[in-house]
Amino acid sequence: MSRKPVKGEYIETDTGNKVARKAVLVGTQHIMLGGKTVIQADAMIRGDLARTSQPSSTSGAAPGAAPGSNTAVAIGRYCFLSKGCCLRPPGRIYKGSFTYLPLRLGDHVFVGEGTVVQAATVGSHVHIGQNVVIGEFAIIKDYVRVLDGAVVPPNMVIPSFSIVAGQPARVVGEVPEGGHEAFELRELYKTVGNNPQPLPV
Amino acid sequence: MASFTPYTYIQCPCHDSAVQGRTADDASPTVSHELDEDDDDHAFDPRAHRSTFSLYPLEYLLYCDVCHQIRCPRCVSEELVTIYCPNCLFEVGSSSLKTEGNRSTNPRAFFAQLQKLRYGEDQSKHVVSGDTSPTKPDSIPDTNKARFAALKSFYGSQTINANPSAGLSGLGDYGLSSPGALTRIMSIYSGNNMNGLKQKNKHAIMREADSTNEGFRLVDLDESSAISQLRRDGWDGTATSAQGKTQVEEGAQFADQLWPIPYLLRTKRSKRCPVCRHIISKPEPKVSNTRWRIRLAANNNAIPTISIKPLNLLPGSGSGSGLLNPLRPAQFLLTFKNPLFDDVKVTLATPATTPGRFASRVTVLCPEFSIDANPDNDMYLDDVLKDGEKERQRQRGDEGIHQAEAGKIWDRGRNWVSIVVEVVPASLRIEPPPALLRKEGDPEQDLSPLREDEDVLEIPMFVRLEWESEASHDQVGAATTRDKDAKEKRELAYWCAIGIGRISQE
Amino acid sequence: MSSSNKRQSILPRIQSGPKAPVNFSSSITIADSAQLTGNHTINISSESVVHPRAKLDSANGRITIGRRCIVHERTNIGAVSADPTPSESRDGVVVSDYATVEVGVVIESGGTVIGEGCHVGVGSRIGKGAQLGKHCVLTPKSVIRPGEVVPDFTVVYSNGTRRLDKRGMIDLKNKAQARQIEVLRKLIPSNPAKFQS
Repeated sequence: MSRKPVKGEYIETDTGNKVARKAVLVGTQHIMLGGKTVIQADAMIRGDLARTSQPSSTSGAAPGAAPGSNTAVAIGRYCFLSKGCCLRPPGRIYKGSFTYLPLRLGDHVFVGEGTVVQAATVGSHVHIGQNVVIGEFAIIKDYVRVLDGAVVPPNMVIPSFSIVAGQPARVVGEVPEGGHEAFELRELYKTVGNNPQPLPV
Repeated sequence: MASFTPYTYIQCPCHDSAVQGRTADDASPTVSHELDEDDDDHAFDPRAHRSTFSLYPLEYLLYCDVCHQIRCPRCVSEELVTIYCPNCLFEVGSSSLKTEGNRSTNPRAFFAQLQKLRYGEDQSKHVVSGDTSPTKPDSIPDTNKARFAALKSFYGSQTINANPSAGLSGLGDYGLSSPGALTRIMSIYSGNNMNGLKQKNKHAIMREADSTNEGFRLVDLDESSAISQLRRDGWDGTATSAQGKTQVEEGAQFADQLWPIPYLLRTKRSKRCPVCRHIISKPEPKVSNTRWRIRLAANNNAIPTISIKPLNLLPGSGSGSGLLNPLRPAQFLLTFKNPLFDDVKVTLATPATTPGRFASRVTVLCPEFSIDANPDNDMYLDDVLKDGEKERQRQRGDEGIHQAEAGKIWDRGRNWVSIVVEVVPASLRIEPPPALLRKEGDPEQDLSPLREDEDVLEIPMFVRLEWESEASHDQVGAATTRDKDAKEKRELAYWCAIGIGRISQE
Repeated sequence: MSSSNKRQSILPRIQSGPKAPVNFSSSITIADSAQLTGNHTINISSESVVHPRAKLDSANGRITIGRRCIVHERTNIGAVSADPTPSESRDGVVVSDYATVEVGVVIESGGTVIGEGCHVGVGSRIGKGAQLGKHCVLTPKSVIRPGEVVPDFTVVYSNGTRRLDKRGMIDLKNKAQARQIEVLRKLIPSNPAKFQS
């Protein structure tokens, strides 16, 4: 990634990712971005917590060699990581030794401000509100809305079209038929970056 | 004070059963009637108690394209498509549902529950005992469920012995769909006339259950152990009423009697129009598939979305508090966005003052306008064209002295139009009217203090849409014989409640 | 991130206060981007792990981290309390052996004690002078009021309820903690020298 002569707030990559200069990405060689993803300032991604079952892939590995072979955090297209959120892979004891397992986000995933995500999988078209905690190894399927302040317990499975809230989080409602389009983040993507556009009417 | 987000709620026609049956053909005359005669039955008050049950956010509404009418979650009829466990996401057959009840029986789901408990996340107070191997729930001896099953089978066999064809044999499974159902019902109502002959021959004595195998249990009236446990464990050792209620096995008094609860199953449902019975929403049956075969959401198929934004032109109207100043006119931009692929003519009507104790004045500056069709949803095309459009808008904006003008729209775009609504918020002061103004026989004034949300300025608005579209799909045969471009006139009219903001209480 | 990216991390610089005097065991793992400030001593005992961007502030009293503790990212240990009364204790915060302090936890300074084997859940806040007993579990976003004393083995839920966990799986938990630390030592490049100079 070459530094642009004029410093904007964001680094914009060839695949359309917009990464704030103030974002904290640890272990970038283990972080995969699908493209057109926004990472705002102070968002943190713990790519360094990669799976340890393959011993050679830690610190000394050449970053150019086969990226994604040991992905810790995989993010799809049109995801939006708000200020101060934190994505970290979940870890557990497996066959007698501790290992981190990858955290995967689908497309059009919104992560609100100050939210900590330690899920195993987050599907596509998922909206996670602000100050939410997603416990380790939670599985969130497509078209799910997690309301602000919720604490999703570890290992919880949230089926598609659920609205989830509370501490501990429970399913409190169903996404209505007319609510599917609201998960779309293409327009929101355009509103940030070094050349932000206003939201269309 | 809590922040306020402007909202639009739309009234489903099901609030009035007379409207529900109306077809598209006779809709227009009635609608125009409503508009010019101020019919008491139809002047809509969003604050009326009944209105609460018919007002919905737009996303929750469906649109029947045969009746051309709005349908809400309350009036549609639902049909089960798939039943599944929300934890393991496996489909549950309807047969196992009958035997096992509306709970997940998958052991994996049960283990997941236990895991959660162990972690100490779940609210349940149940402490999984030292060894972490879970006891299967069906091995719990002497559960209420098992006893009920034993009692049921015992009395079932008793009645069958006594009277093989009598109705009571179907106690558990009502079995109304089985061919014998009619006979059984007839035998109940006809006073055993039909098989009276057989009956007289049999006088087997029915006895009550008396052994544990038959589900019999003596009530334990000795509560001393419960009392001593209460002394020992105190308040923390008891189960809360909420915990007791959610238990599958009844009667948990102490926290150590609580068990992890199997997951309640979830469903995928299709929805039918209550009038014409056409399916207006149908998900794909597979649990993992999130697509829909039919999804006639009102916001994609008929009703324009309305977004509300204050128009800060008058000084002081948009004060820092976000509250509306009483008796100071304020202007708001309502933006209507058309989801249809046809041009739509919109007519708006509001009462001059809002209903309720605090009547705010409302003026829609441009109650009649038309919105252009929704362009094809091609993202690429959209992106290319948008820039040009922006440019044009900018130019247009620079030309005129932009001021809200009666009869003119504020702004328009590809498939949206903004208009200006002027409101004069009422004063929220509660004081009796001066004696001079009071007339003989006037109803007593309501001087009670401000009720919840009475400070919200909510405008009832009647919206009438008119558009021409291709002939509907259910008449395919007819359409092909006629000209393919034949257009059909469509009309839709509904009330909505628009929440603009809170009025300052100073 | 394209594959041509040579940098292993993007870690923008942060403002920090005066460098704190430290007393490290030789076997600790501390990330380069952890933040240790203040004028009292910060003690970190053997085999403990401090994640990147964890903030330990000894301005209001000594900070002691026990053996085999894990301090996750974005924690703020030794935060200034809203309560201005000076504390009697010389200790700011004591985190006892085998404790885990999760992401974004705030522990206020002033004689605050986190008991042995405690698990402080994500985003929790522990008030000044509060004392957590041994092997307590705080679920995410729990709040412990200043000066509160939480008995041993308590599970604190963020919705206000509590219970006691008497299962006693301490050995198992400690073993799991040791395993996790083994892995973290491999994953987090440690740079204690940066703080010791």
